[in-house]
Amino acid sequence: MRNMFADAPRASLTAAYWAFILYLLLPLTLMMAMSFKGANYIAFPIGEWTFDWYVQVMQDKQFLDACLYSIMIAAATTVAATTLGTWIAMLIVAEGIRGQVVIFAIACLPAVVPGMISAISLRIFISTIDMPTGTMAIILGHTVHAVPFVVVMALTRLRTMPGNLVDAARDLGADSVVAFFRVTLPYLWPALFGGMIFCVLLSIDDFVRTFFLGGYRPTLPMLIFAKVQGGMSPEINAMATLVLVVTAAVGLYAEYMTRRARTR
Amino acid sequence: MVTSNTTAGYGAPRDAAVPRYSTRIAKIVNSSLYRHTLGAAVESRWGRLILLAGVPLVWLIALHIGPIYQMLKISLLSHYPVQPGVDSQFTLANYRLFFSESLYFSPLIKSFIFATVATASTLIVVYPVAYYVAKVVRPEGRSKALLLLLVPFWAGELIRTFSVIMLLANRGAVNVLLREIGLIDRPIPMLYTSFSLGFGLVYLICLYMLLPLYSAIEKIPTQYLDAAADLGAGPFTRFRKIILPLSKDGIVSGCCLVFLTCIGVFATPMMLGGPNTVLFPETISGFFHGASDKWPVGAAFALIMLVTALIAAGIFMRLVGGRKRSAI
Repeated sequence: MRNMFADAPRASLTAAYWAFILYLLLPLTLMMAMSFKGANYIAFPIGEWTFDWYVQVMQDKQFLDACLYSIMIAAATTVAATTLGTWIAMLIVAEGIRGQVVIFAIACLPAVVPGMISAISLRIFISTIDMPTGTMAIILGHTVHAVPFVVVMALTRLRTMPGNLVDAARDLGADSVVAFFRVTLPYLWPALFGGMIFCVLLSIDDFVRTFFLGGYRPTLPMLIFAKVQGGMSPEINAMATLVLVVTAAVGLYAEYMTRRARTR
Repeated sequence: MVTSNTTAGYGAPRDAAVPRYSTRIAKIVNSSLYRHTLGAAVESRWGRLILLAGVPLVWLIALHIGPIYQMLKISLLSHYPVQPGVDSQFTLANYRLFFSESLYFSPLIKSFIFATVATASTLIVVYPVAYYVAKVVRPEGRSKALLLLLVPFWAGELIRTFSVIMLLANRGAVNVLLREIGLIDRPIPMLYTSFSLGFGLVYLICLYMLLPLYSAIEKIPTQYLDAAADLGAGPFTRFRKIILPLSKDGIVSGCCLVFLTCIGVFATPMMLGGPNTVLFPETISGFFHGASDKWPVGAAFALIMLVTALIAAGIFMRLVGGRKRSAI
């Protein structure tokens, strides 16, 4: 009898967990299921099932172009944000530099400022430096957004690094540049890999910055937003499902890789 | 320092077992281009300092502070972008406008109410889940249980918002199901209301609450709970006296993160909200996409939002009193 009472909180917690999982997965599952609906409006029950929407989406030039554009922006953002984030992290952990707390706070600022405000301030900023809206502005905005996350991830890893590794390299004749590339960077790599995947997902996902900084060429979220505003059909579901499957695969792969790096 | 011309220098192959890439690095390091640029720079203290701090500092000052500074500057101007023939002068009128019209005032209040309610609901919904994963699940299964929670978040913000429509629309899953089992004749209008917006917000941001809560709860030593149980504390007492105070850190950072995200959310109200749920970001965005010389007003409003949001988060931190953690 006592055992049953002791287990009651445990059972309800388990139930809460699975209910939450259901809550998380149900809308996405419904969204994916709807992409197979054989009619051009969104409504349950699905009735007739079809694959036509996927065929249509795969031939949709606008969609493919948006994919390409999003990937390009994500790649540029990732390279820029990883480089800058690592550099800033190196500055923060460097010996003999004062004001590290201030530098860290400034580095994290874009992660704390709400997305909308960050987007507007960047829109104003690019106009004051006479930069036109468009690809470069989007990449700049996404990079500003992604840098804090790289900084934090790199810092976490740098803190666990034995200080004598770099000293050893220096003793063996490496100057600080070589020591960074041969010792620190390889040590940082697992964290940077995770950070890079995070940058890609952040950039592909970002709507509000792209909305304010973008030109006429839509990125994926812009395209989906425009379609949702312009009248919904299962075509959007097919697009969203494709994007979802790809990004989830990237996320899972990253998770797998970081876990493997951790256990090795 | 071994950088003279006569010795091969760092990384030169001493025997055949040295991997090939190390000779490539030696080639770069010993090339005259490297020795005259980077190599020379790292020889001196100042060179090293500039190499280390130059780019990061320029980036941080120009792009992390620059935009906010420009926004502040423009919010104090009467006209921007400056047109020929129009004189732009310093003014506080843009800030005054906010307090003079309830049309502007009420969306901000609404934004705050929404963000607060969404934060509180997220905390209540997510806490048991975070606790379950951190303390009930066995350590081996923990990362799997966590992974299952992360999967939906690889879908983007927009896709998740869109999928909420599937659930709540008039012919969405909930309404159709309720009609099938005969509970209702007419669909309950759920979409484009405050309910759908709140539901969507919680759905969107629960991860930001989950991760800080999880890491805080996971750190609580299980022995504390066992000791309390041995001394006769029931589950509720253990929760109130041990778990809650010790997870305060996670609660504070999770709530602040969620609150600040909610305040600045832009696409979700446009997709899930209706005419009654015009939030402040939408109001601000109007100044940038409508008539062009309203930018200063938009900048001023954005700053008002930023400052009030940060103050609210600060007050919350002070009230709950999370342990002061040093950032570094």
